Order: sequence, then C-alpha cells, then structure tokens
Amino acid sequence: MELLRWDVMRSYLPLYRDAMFLTLRIGWAGILAAIGLGFICALIRHYKIPVLQKIVGIYIELFRNTPLLVQLFFLYFGLPKIGLDIPAEPCGVLGLALLGGAYMAETFRSGLEAVEPIQMESALSLGMTRTQAVLHVILPQAVSISVPAFVANIIFLLKETSVFSAISLMDLMFTAKDLIGLYYKTLECLTLLVVFYLIILLPVSALGSFLERRLRYAGFGD
Amino acid sequence: MRKNLFKKAGAAVLGLVLAGSLLAGCGSGSSATQQGADGPQAEAVEEQAEEAVEESADAGYRTLEQIQADGKINIGVFSDKSPFGYVDENGEYQGYDVYFANRIGQDLGVEIEYVSTEAASRIEYLQTGKVDIILANFTVTPERAEEVDFALPYMNVALGVVSHDDRVIKDLSQVGEDDQIIVISGTTAETYLTKNNPEIKLQKFDTYAAAKSAFENGTGVAWANDNTEVIAFAAENEGYTVGIDSLGSADTIAPAVTKGNESLLNWLNEEIVELGKENFFHADYEATLVDTYGIEFEDTLVIEGGGN
Repeated sequence: MELLRWDVMRSYLPLYRDAMFLTLRIGWAGILAAIGLGFICALIRHYKIPVLQKIVGIYIELFRNTPLLVQLFFLYFGLPKIGLDIPAEPCGVLGLALLGGAYMAETFRSGLEAVEPIQMESALSLGMTRTQAVLHVILPQAVSISVPAFVANIIFLLKETSVFSAISLMDLMFTAKDLIGLYYKTLECLTLLVVFYLIILLPVSALGSFLERRLRYAGFGD
Repeated sequence: MRKNLFKKAGAAVLGLVLAGSLLAGCGSGSSATQQGADGPQAEAVEEQAEEAVEESADAGYRTLEQIQADGKINIGVFSDKSPFGYVDENGEYQGYDVYFANRIGQDLGVEIEYVSTEAASRIEYLQTGKVDIILANFTVTPERAEEVDFALPYMNVALGVVSHDDRVIKDLSQVGEDDQIIVISGTTAETYLTKNNPEIKLQKFDTYAAAKSAFENGTGVAWANDNTEVIAFAAENEGYTVGIDSLGSADTIAPAVTKGNESLLNWLNEEIVELGKENFFHADYEATLVDTYGIEFEDTLVIEGGGN
C-alpha cells in the first residue's frame, strides 16, 4: 500500500490554495492593522499621554489575557445580539487586529524603553526639537530593537488564524478538518496542512532573520 | 553563523515532518509494521499468551472482553445536539442516543465514559481507538461503512432544510446565487449538497451550537441537516419553518464501532435485536423525543430490533 495517495492530494490542492489565500488575506490585513494600532498604543503609553494611557492599558490587558477564540466568538456570535452584525471575514480581521495590536504595543514599548534616556538628552542638546529627536533618533533605534519580537509576533498571529474555523471561515485548518470529515483521507489532509503552513511561515521566518541582520544598528556604545 | 543556524533549524523541521508522515503512513496501512521496529514488541511476539491481546491493541480497538475486563466503555456522543445527545443543566448527558448508551453500559455491566464529539471527527475517534462505540446520531452511508463497522440501525432519518418564516425555502432551486446554506462539517447534509448541488454556496460550521447561533443571528438563508434535527429546531424556536422535510435518500442511524471489532459489533447486534423484544426504542422515544416531535412521528422515526 502506498504511504500517501498523491492523486488524492493533488485533487485537494485547489481547496488548500484557496484556504491559504484566505489565511494570508485575513492574516496580513489583521497584522497590518495590528502594527498600526500597536504603534500608536505604544507611543501613547511610553509618552504617558493622560486619559488615553489608561484606556490603552485596559485594552492591552483585556486582549492579551483572553484567547483569540473567545474574542472571535464575542465579535461573531455576541455582537449581533446587540444589533452589530459583522460578517465572518471582517470579524476575523478585527479579532486578529485587536489581539495583535495588544501584543505589538508591548513589543514597541519595550523597544522604546530600551533606548537610553541619554540619547534623547543628547539629541536635545544638539538643538533638535522633541519631535525631531523622537523621529530621527529614538524611533529608528526602538524599531530596530523590536525587530526580533516583532517577527515572532507576526508568526504567532499567522498561526492564530487556525482558530478561525469556529466562525465558519474556510482557513487551512478548517479545510483540512472538513475534507477529513467528507472523504476520510486523514493522513493526506494533515500532511497538506503542515506543508501549507510551512509554505506560509518559512518565508516569514526567513524575512525575519534577514531584517534582523539588516536593521540591527541600534545599541550604539554597548 | 545566524544563517547556518537557520538552515539547520529548517532542515530539522523538514526532517521531522517527513519522518512523522512516513511513520503515520505505516500506521494507517498496518500498525504492525510500525510497531515491529520496537524492541518490546519483538519480545511480546515470543509470549504466545499475550499475542491475541497485542493484536487487537495494534488494530486500535478494544475487544468486548477487554472492555469488560477494564470495567469501562468509552462512548462518543454529541453534547450539543438536543434532543439526541446533549448535556442538560445538571451537566448530565441526555437524549435519545444517550438513553440507549446508558442501557448498553448497564447490560455490559461496565461504567460509561462519555466522550463529546464533533460531527466531522466521529470516524477519527473510532479509527484511533479513542472511543469504543460512536452513538452520535451517525447516519449509515456506504462511504462511512468503508471506514467503520455499523451495527443494526435504531432510527430512520432523511435530510431536511429549515428556513426563516419570511422566506421559506421549499425547493433548492429557490436558493439564489448569493445565498448561503448553513451546514455542519462532516454531516450527510454537507456530503449530499457538495455532491448533488455543487452550485449552492455552503457556510460550514464545526459544531451544532455554532451553526444554530449563526442561523439565529440571520446568517444564511437556510440550514440543511438531518430532518429530525431541523424539525426539532423549528418546533423549539419561533420564526422558522421546515420548507423541505425530506431530501435525498431515506437513511438509517446506527451505532458504529472500529472497523474489524467483531466481538463488540456482534454483541451490539444481539443487544439491539434483544431490546426489540421489549420495544426498548419506543420507550426511548417516549422518554426523550416525544416532547419535541409528538407521538405521531414515533413509528416513522423508531426502528425496533434492527428492522429485522
């Protein structure tokens, strides 16, 4: 007997390809939104902007300490009860953005805090304004310090997309489960699942280590 | 240095994946070849007395004798499909399937461990030996019968489609291009629509609970499932009508065991025939289903003694 039925696997490829595009579409939309959200939240927390700082703090603790599955259930099944009906795909993007935003905020903030205060003082003493100092001195270093954790977050978020099946999104995980339920070719389906996740994630890992090498210029004088 | 590390890590991951799939590949054909490489297994072969036990362990199921010796049987049921298999407000499993399961445990003289299953994983649970019997409203189909062994049937079923009162779907041709029908992954409704009406867009959920919540929230124009299930849903909830009450072929529902587990299969068949003599499934219906379907469906739904 053959180990794997290649003809069966080939016939599943289009379904897995569609699922991969869905995973990528929702994944990247959510991650881009998460980066924007996280960046703003990090600046608010680091520069201790009144009122907003408190709100951001609550948001981060709320979303970092509940599972994505719970957040998705709340967005998809809970909100319609109060008249807010969001279709499944935007729900997935929103859930990922909110979860990712909380993680990204902490990542960027730790980057900002890792830049020595003397850098700011030096910049100011050279005659830069505060805004100039933040833009040209602090942020470039903070972003560079955050890169490893930032890439880890992206990989984490892409993997989290596997719970989307709960809200009926045909992502890779659900496609595999569904095909197993329909045709019982368990091993073929699971092998394809692993392969497709690797196709998505290995390039991200590779890009991550590339970025790390290219952007690792902070930490002057260490 | 970093690059090297990354390459090594990548190679290790790929190696693991390949090794894993090869091993599992042997397992699906005959787990004996996989086990054969192990030292302990080679020793066991010499011990003739244990051979029979080892064999069934390799096949991934427990025989009737082993279940009775262990004093515990694992039965896979639904936990969210009222009134067939569900968990009541006291955390107890209830329903038509569970009523039957309780009797099985009683007649076998063993304790029952209920395992909550999803529709799509029922076959997997049996094939991996995680449950001994699936009693989760499992419709008998030729495709499934290639993967598991069905005992005698204990209930009739067909497919049904329930829709919202303001737009009752009486025929599948009424389903528009942009409309979606809700199905549960791994059910006969999904298989039927995928095969016979590939043009209809399906919105798939993995649990009954999720599908019901989504349907109540207005997702999808209709929900296709076993007709028993959709009739129960329309009876219990305001604003829904079963527009199609019989779709596809008339099927039966039966307990299933792991392929090849003959001792347990034979016992189940005898049990079902035996229970027919006391009209057990009529009593089951009257205890669990009558509130939902009324007395007039009793003889349509119930199969007694495996239907001869």
